[in-house]
Amino acid sequence: MNSLLRRLRHELFATPGDAVLSVALLALLTLAMGGLLRWALVQANWAVIQANSTLFAVGRYPAEQQWRLWLLTSLLVGAAGLSWGLLRAHPRADRQGLLWPRNDRVAVGLLAGLAVWLPWALGLTGGIQARWWGLAALLIGLRWLAGRQGASWPPRLLKLVPLVWPLLYLTGMVLIGGGLGVAKVSPSEWGGLLLTLLSASFAILLCFPLGVLLALGRRSELPLLRWASVIYIEFIRGAPLITLLFLGQNIFGFLLPNGLAPERVWRAAWVLTFFAAAYLAEAVRSGLAAVPTGQVEAARSLGLSQARALQHVVLPQALRVALPAMVGQFISLLQDTTLLSLIGLLELLGVARTVMANPEFLGKNAEVYLTLAVLFWCCCAALGLGSRALERRLDPRTVPSR
Amino acid sequence: MTTTPAAAANTVVPANTVMIEAQGVQKWYPNGFHALRGCDLRVNRGEVVVIMGPSGSGKSTFIRTFNALEDFQKGRIVVDGIALSNDLRNIDAIRREVGMVFQQFNLFPHLTVLDNLTLAPVLVRKRAKAEVERQAMALLQRVGIAEQASKFPGQLSGGQQQRVAIARALCMEPRILLFDEPTSALDPEMVREVLDVMRNLAEDDITMVVVTHEVKFAEQVAHRVVLMAEGEVVEEAPPQVFFNTPSHERTRRFLDQIL
Ligand SMILES: Nc1ncnc2c1ncn2[C@@H]1O[C@H](COP(=O)(O)OP(=O)(O)O)[C@@H](O)[C@H]1O
Ligand SMILES: [Mg+2]
Repeated sequence: MNSLLRRLRHELFATPGDAVLSVALLALLTLAMGGLLRWALVQANWAVIQANSTLFAVGRYPAEQQWRLWLLTSLLVGAAGLSWGLLRAHPRADRQGLLWPRNDRVAVGLLAGLAVWLPWALGLTGGIQARWWGLAALLIGLRWLAGRQGASWPPRLLKLVPLVWPLLYLTGMVLIGGGLGVAKVSPSEWGGLLLTLLSASFAILLCFPLGVLLALGRRSELPLLRWASVIYIEFIRGAPLITLLFLGQNIFGFLLPNGLAPERVWRAAWVLTFFAAAYLAEAVRSGLAAVPTGQVEAARSLGLSQARALQHVVLPQALRVALPAMVGQFISLLQDTTLLSLIGLLELLGVARTVMANPEFLGKNAEVYLTLAVLFWCCCAALGLGSRALERRLDPRTVPSR
Repeated sequence: MTTTPAAAANTVVPANTVMIEAQGVQKWYPNGFHALRGCDLRVNRGEVVVIMGPSGSGKSTFIRTFNALEDFQKGRIVVDGIALSNDLRNIDAIRREVGMVFQQFNLFPHLTVLDNLTLAPVLVRKRAKAEVERQAMALLQRVGIAEQASKFPGQLSGGQQQRVAIARALCMEPRILLFDEPTSALDPEMVREVLDVMRNLAEDDITMVVVTHEVKFAEQVAHRVVLMAEGEVVEEAPPQVFFNTPSHERTRRFLDQIL
């Protein structure tokens, strides 16, 4: 505590000038925070959020089918708890890791608090509140269990764990959209956070391999491939996303025979994918440029083929360099999904606009927009935290030398 | 690690099988620069050949043609009985048999020391990982850094990194090892540990072509010393002759500069 005080004094009040600036800024900050808090706690009317929480979460997804989304959520939460615990139980071979580092304890506390407070604040019915508590318990319980037992799991089993995620993604697609014996729910009925996360994750997952291929194409020695990549990248980067989204809604109809053209939601998701791939390619290209040519020469002189050298030597290094820029792209991609509301899709912003147009909730724009901002902020923060953790885990330079 | 008494290594008469045969090799870089102007060199099995010469004389370019890191436009190179051509299968076969150690080490920074060694044997030679790891540990022992096996290259000193690079090349069990100024990027106090490893290697059956400015190493270990200047092989002689009674004026001038 004392050292904290000393540090504060050192950092905020080192010189008289610093002190004046600090006091002024602190006063300004207090004023702003006070105003915001007073508004949020006293003046704001959160009924608009409480009454529409389901709409914000899943849009017009049919109520009698929503059990599928609950099932999917619990599967995701379970997989997250499992992976989290296993990661902590298996720190990198060259580094000793704590089973419960401070950040993890803070995260568990925050998640538990949120799971108790948020459903109550949203005024959800008792049954649904209990479901959220159950989900939080599942997450923390599996985190604890996998952390405790994970170290003694057989390596064969551990190798299968990363496969859980792609499998879960495909399962999720079936659960959300139907098929394989599950009743169909048309994409036009998906909405809210569900649609935002779905289109963003779809585009993020697919733009990644596409972007890597484009970056490699741009550096290829085959002129045709190189020029095709350059033209694609520069064309996409030269056009605003919104025009491409409108174009996409029409062009799929021209290009593909009637009936084969994907649903409107999917058309938009593909446009997002193709759009993000061009930007991602540039991020990957800068990563590729950062790998010294000596690396390829060393790999080739050991007898590795061009493809093997790329896969085992160049790409791992290039992608690690490009990771922060790529995550930046993913974050702006997530935010770009709000443009889907302009082509009539009811993702988060689309739902928000219909809610605000409802005469019952007239003039409640601030509450709605603030909720949206916080939701997006949470998603982006999660992406950012995840990427930083990944960066640290991948970077040999952060390993303390013994 | 034992160092051989001086001159013990170069008294061994190598078996007379030609491992590298270069005839009239000429190379132009894409910008038109004529880097090799007709170079000849023959290296027998088990021989250690040291190449010296002023900077920019084409030493790197020349030895990099031996494992097809550089192409050439005229002449002929036969490595271990395989003629270097544009056939990619040929090139892969040659690269498996020819190891290379670079001035800048070029270790893979994202892999541990052990994984640096095992990557190629597992991928290229399709050997079992456990077996390769045993061999890799033995090699690391031989170059004196077994205890660093689980570290990353960035955590090692320059000398240690270069020894790892040598072990990595050896792990592919090459018949020929090329060294391109292996000690030039090292702090002076680390040069010796790398040269000791190379001396130790020279006693084996392996064929070595070494570009270096280390005169003592050349005197003690080399069977022949070659001088390159302006893209040509100027002089080629046993070390005693090369350093004491060279036959070319160009060699004398070069030796005056470095001795
Ligand atoms: N990629 C390249 N393009 C054009 N010229 C080059 C290239 N690489 C090397 N050179 C030139 O070729 C000559 C020989 O280079 P190099 O073989 O590296 O010399 P050394 O190893 O003897 O110092 C030098 O004059 C150098 O400038
Ligand atoms: Mg050189």
